[in-house]
Amino acid sequence: MSNRAAKFGSIYFGVFGAIVLLFGIAGFVVMGVYGMEGVTWGPLEMSGMFLIWEAIILISAGAMYLSSVSKFGEVRQLAKSVAASIMIWIVAGMAIWAMIAGSIPGGEEGPWFNPPVDFIATYAPPYMPAIFLLPFSLAIIYFIRSRRRSVTA
Amino acid sequence: MELTIDQRWDLVERISKETVEVGVYEPSLKDALADVTVRPATGIPFAIAVIYGFWAFFCEFAGTLFTDGFFCKIFDGHWLPWLQGVFAGTPAWVFNIFVGDPLADNCFEAFGVLSSGIFLAIGVVLPAIVAFYLIFAILEDVGYMPRLAVLVDTLLHKIGLHGYAIVPTILSLGCNVPGVTAVRPLETRKQRFLAIVLLSVFVPCGAQIGIMEGMIPGLIGWVFLALVIGYFGVGWVINKIVPGESPEILMDVPPYQMPTARNIWAKLWTRTSKFLTVAVPFVLLGCVIVAVLYITGAMDAIASGLSPVITGVFGLPQDTAAAMIAGFLRKDLAVGTIGMLAAGGMTITVFQVFTAVVLLSIYFPCLATFALMIKELNWKETLGALATLIVMVFVYGAILHLIGLSGIGSSVWVPLE
Repeated sequence: MSNRAAKFGSIYFGVFGAIVLLFGIAGFVVMGVYGMEGVTWGPLEMSGMFLIWEAIILISAGAMYLSSVSKFGEVRQLAKSVAASIMIWIVAGMAIWAMIAGSIPGGEEGPWFNPPVDFIATYAPPYMPAIFLLPFSLAIIYFIRSRRRSVTA
Repeated sequence: MELTIDQRWDLVERISKETVEVGVYEPSLKDALADVTVRPATGIPFAIAVIYGFWAFFCEFAGTLFTDGFFCKIFDGHWLPWLQGVFAGTPAWVFNIFVGDPLADNCFEAFGVLSSGIFLAIGVVLPAIVAFYLIFAILEDVGYMPRLAVLVDTLLHKIGLHGYAIVPTILSLGCNVPGVTAVRPLETRKQRFLAIVLLSVFVPCGAQIGIMEGMIPGLIGWVFLALVIGYFGVGWVINKIVPGESPEILMDVPPYQMPTARNIWAKLWTRTSKFLTVAVPFVLLGCVIVAVLYITGAMDAIASGLSPVITGVFGLPQDTAAAMIAGFLRKDLAVGTIGMLAAGGMTITVFQVFTAVVLLSIYFPCLATFALMIKELNWKETLGALATLIVMVFVYGAILHLIGLSGIGSSVWVPLE
């Protein structure tokens, strides 16, 4: 990976890691204050029986991003960021999967399959934090490619 | 020509200079990622994320999409009314065995072999098993399971097992039957005995988890906590008591790789078909036996006979004896019975439900697992396992009863719709 890419990665994942960490801490606070009922704040939702685990995973991912920023160009440091990104993909992926699974059947009293309007409505906000973090975590792909290019060059 | 030792070494050196290229090894990103996932500081949080993903996928696939989304509607709306129509003119005992309660409007509460039996096996357990083994096969083929084994190796050594025991343990979360057979690669008889006892008692199967997830979603975490404490606590005691060795092993940790659809399908099919052929007949047999016990009045007699233990030692309502008996046959059936009894008017507190579900998990392996235990262990070991179970269930039940007397979870439990 070039020095420039490594420096950019270091700054990017430093800021992003801090945000992920803050979301994780917020999850803990919400769990402590409101329990599994959680809160909804505009398009953001923190609730559900897995909230505590999501908070633990986000805090861990945030800490792993932050610990990877020093000498980000080294492969071991990059691997920490990759692992942290995978953790976010798992949490966000499962939130998306929950929406997909909930959007297909038509409900207890309804038809076999959800009508199109209800199907689309399932995907409307609010979303959990990991879904907002997901697109920003995808930046790791650029750094993986950047490293691959520098290795093959 | 004969060479001296020095000449041989010189020759080796000359050949190696000409043939071996020495350089500095630069680990690839895959190597570094493999390293990150086995180091405790980063590997444990990563493992938590993987297990979270495993569990979340399981709940949504089995619960939301298939069981609640489609199977409840098929079985309650079409299958049960059809059965009730077909068996309408038959003698009462035939109706009770095959269809169950004539007033039931859902398969979960009917308790007939063709209503509840088929619904549990196909509508509840099968999606759970498929979801579980699908993810398990992917994790195996990606190469994550050996890393998880390395991560938990130190912990499992405390109870006389080694890291590989995590594979049959997790496998048992799907169905205890393949879990018990998967202990064969463990090194010694002692380790195999330990693993079989622990996983057949403290590891709830996918069927039971599926029912618990639907019936007591708020308590399921506590049930798991109680089972994990039991797994390690009882494991530690058995390790101290049972003679034998627990040797170290060297484990091959393969590199991460992309799973292939063909392998995943082969594993999924092998394991699921084993469940369908070995465990499902026991689900149906369980329904028949429970129905016969109710029809003949034997259930009431056994329940009153067991009441000093059920109420005195475990602090549970006497009516839960029926569930405990059903638990000998199928644990998922037994957990469901508690829900049915509560729905039918039995007063039971939240803590008593928790106690009953924990005791149901630990007091005896299901019939299918027990049959396999006899096959895998000799008679002496099987009797040892049973003696351990009896002592353990009384100690565990009494401890939970004492905790319950403090007033924790004393509100009346209301079953979910």
